[in-house]
Amino acid sequence: MPLTETGLKQPVKASAADMLKIDINPVPDDRKVEEAIKHLNELGQKFRSLMITFESCTKCGACAENCHTYLGTRDPYNIPTNRADLMRKVYKRYFTPEGKFFPKFIGAKDLELEDLEKMYSYYYQCNECRRCALVCPFGLDTCEVTMAGRQLLHWLGMVPKLQASVGAAMKKTGNHTGIPKGGLVDTCEFLCEDIVDETGVDMKMPIDQNADILYIPSSADFMLNPNTMTGVAKFFHYLGANWTISSEIAEAGNFGLLFDQRHTLRANSMRIIDEALKYGCKKVVWGECGHGWRAGKMYLPGMLDRPGRIPIVHLHDEVRYYIEKGALKLNKDVVTRPVTLHDPCNFGRACNMSDTLRVVMNASVSNFVEMTPNRERNFCCGGGSAILFDDPEMYDLRIKFSAKKAEQVRETGVDKDGDGILCAPCSICKAQLYPMVKEHKLGVEVKGLIDLVGLALYPPINE
Amino acid sequence: MTYFILQILPYISIAVLVIGLLYRIGRWANGRIVHNITLTTPAPTTQTGAVVNIATEAVFFRSLFQADKALWSGAWIMHVALFSVLGGHVVGFGTLGLQFYYIGLTSAELSTYLSDLLGTSMGILVLLGLFYLLYRRMAINEVKQISAPSDYLHLILLIAIVTVGNTMRFVPEWGLHYEPVRDYVVQLLTFSAVTADMEVMHKPLFTIHLLLVQILAMILPFSKLLHIPGMFAHRWILTRPLVEPAPGLPGIPVGGSGHAASSGQSTSGGVQ
Repeated sequence: MPLTETGLKQPVKASAADMLKIDINPVPDDRKVEEAIKHLNELGQKFRSLMITFESCTKCGACAENCHTYLGTRDPYNIPTNRADLMRKVYKRYFTPEGKFFPKFIGAKDLELEDLEKMYSYYYQCNECRRCALVCPFGLDTCEVTMAGRQLLHWLGMVPKLQASVGAAMKKTGNHTGIPKGGLVDTCEFLCEDIVDETGVDMKMPIDQNADILYIPSSADFMLNPNTMTGVAKFFHYLGANWTISSEIAEAGNFGLLFDQRHTLRANSMRIIDEALKYGCKKVVWGECGHGWRAGKMYLPGMLDRPGRIPIVHLHDEVRYYIEKGALKLNKDVVTRPVTLHDPCNFGRACNMSDTLRVVMNASVSNFVEMTPNRERNFCCGGGSAILFDDPEMYDLRIKFSAKKAEQVRETGVDKDGDGILCAPCSICKAQLYPMVKEHKLGVEVKGLIDLVGLALYPPINE
Repeated sequence: MTYFILQILPYISIAVLVIGLLYRIGRWANGRIVHNITLTTPAPTTQTGAVVNIATEAVFFRSLFQADKALWSGAWIMHVALFSVLGGHVVGFGTLGLQFYYIGLTSAELSTYLSDLLGTSMGILVLLGLFYLLYRRMAINEVKQISAPSDYLHLILLIAIVTVGNTMRFVPEWGLHYEPVRDYVVQLLTFSAVTADMEVMHKPLFTIHLLLVQILAMILPFSKLLHIPGMFAHRWILTRPLVEPAPGLPGIPVGGSGHAASSGQSTSGGVQ
């Protein structure tokens, strides 16, 4: 059946030339199936989590109503276990006794080219938010299946243009937006001038200097979320920290986590410790980026090809520490607008940060309203795992994925007077929430958490 | 045929169950825990904490309780009753229903009475739970969409086993007392021949019950019933203890020097 008839929605694929830039030689169509089966076997044998997830699911369906992509689209393939089944059916057919002998009976099937196209469509509709793992009675992690699926597709040469070009930009410039060193320096100077105008305080954003602390910013903070970058500068300046940004790794994100957990994930991880060594840093502090911090905290130690002895911590864990030590004088009355917090999935479910975010939030603003559900039970923004595609069909899906989020924000009531703040301390969440707020007509402004800390540390002098 | 099911098949089915499980679990053990995919709800910091977490999940189905109360009711009742029934088989046949008498709680008569009562009520509860799960699989659209034929047949097989078992309880002349069954199990365990005059050889329902149970045992390692070991194996991957790195920034006077480990916390933290 031609794909056009099935109505399969897919992001634009990277061309062969794009794929070469991220070191992959695409497999021609007539060999894809054969290669995919080989890779699937490798992945299943290597990842215990993947094999158990393939073999232990009872199809109870508890995940269905807990997945925001299913709630937003009601597409049966977006039921987490059914999405995993795209690959599970094939895995069972080739690598389990029951699938070899009774495929129809247990729901196993041969792999066809069309299945790979389906996987490409649905594994790039999954936000890898792990809410399904949270509600699964066995803790089976469907995110592991999506990750393995994307890895497999990557090896075959099927990667969205967005992901591939970000990967190529990262290789070339050391950040996802492709800003060269000159651009970083200019932007930082410009942002420092902004801070002077706003607060009357002169501070620096050092780049490529020897320092105690290597700060890993999200490159989106230089363009899209400048207040996050200035918030960080204010925090470090307030404490009198000797810090720097490296132009070789001005990127908290690591798209390796999202489409290639071998080559790309490792290369980006190595940059961190290389640069920390280069500038004599004693600690690495990670910026506001959800998936990036998951990669940095949970994946990086296992990806390095030598011992990483420099501790890596998250900015907000440090902010919390100094708040609790009483070292920060925060004027929480500066922000009186109602604020609600969107817990990034990777912070809540993967990095133990729910409490930290609340300590920082409560110290920085005076009118904080919790969303329901919150903390580790929060729903994803709909942009998770960087499926921030702009092609009309995929954009439409993104907005549908965020329907649950919009509903949650509305229920808090912070958008009633049109002056609410939706705090999302994650670059991908921010990039998703800007259009989401517009499309769902919410009266809130999207901000990072360190933005609010910055405002409370150095209240604006002329408003 | 009866002779085959009662004397020969049990050895085959137990062998298939054990070897099959070892094969499947061995395959899992060959895979690695490649990345730290701890699910932080929040994450435990010690091994004891991790074990408590997993035990709570195993005993109370906590995650499911928080996610879906209706499914939890059916599933939890079914599993707890099934587990009680299995335990009841071991204890009841082992002590001939005198378990409560032996531990000094009741008189001998009361003990057998209680044993019967518990067995009967748990048998009914399992059946109710199973029927609810089957109803759910057919009635809820999402669950229906994701079901394969085997998903229904597992439930139907269990329903058949429990129905036959319950029938033996309710129709005494079709069922058996504890002694003949215990004698039969002893014969099996001591690899002795079952003789034609034994009562178990003349109870068709008992033979059917035993046949169905053996079928279940044989398909267990080759079906989604692997969720029994799978639950523990995967929970362990998600629940391993996580130690946070010590906070505090180098070169900042407030709150210690930071780079040195503070308050006994490790500098880099990580999954244990």
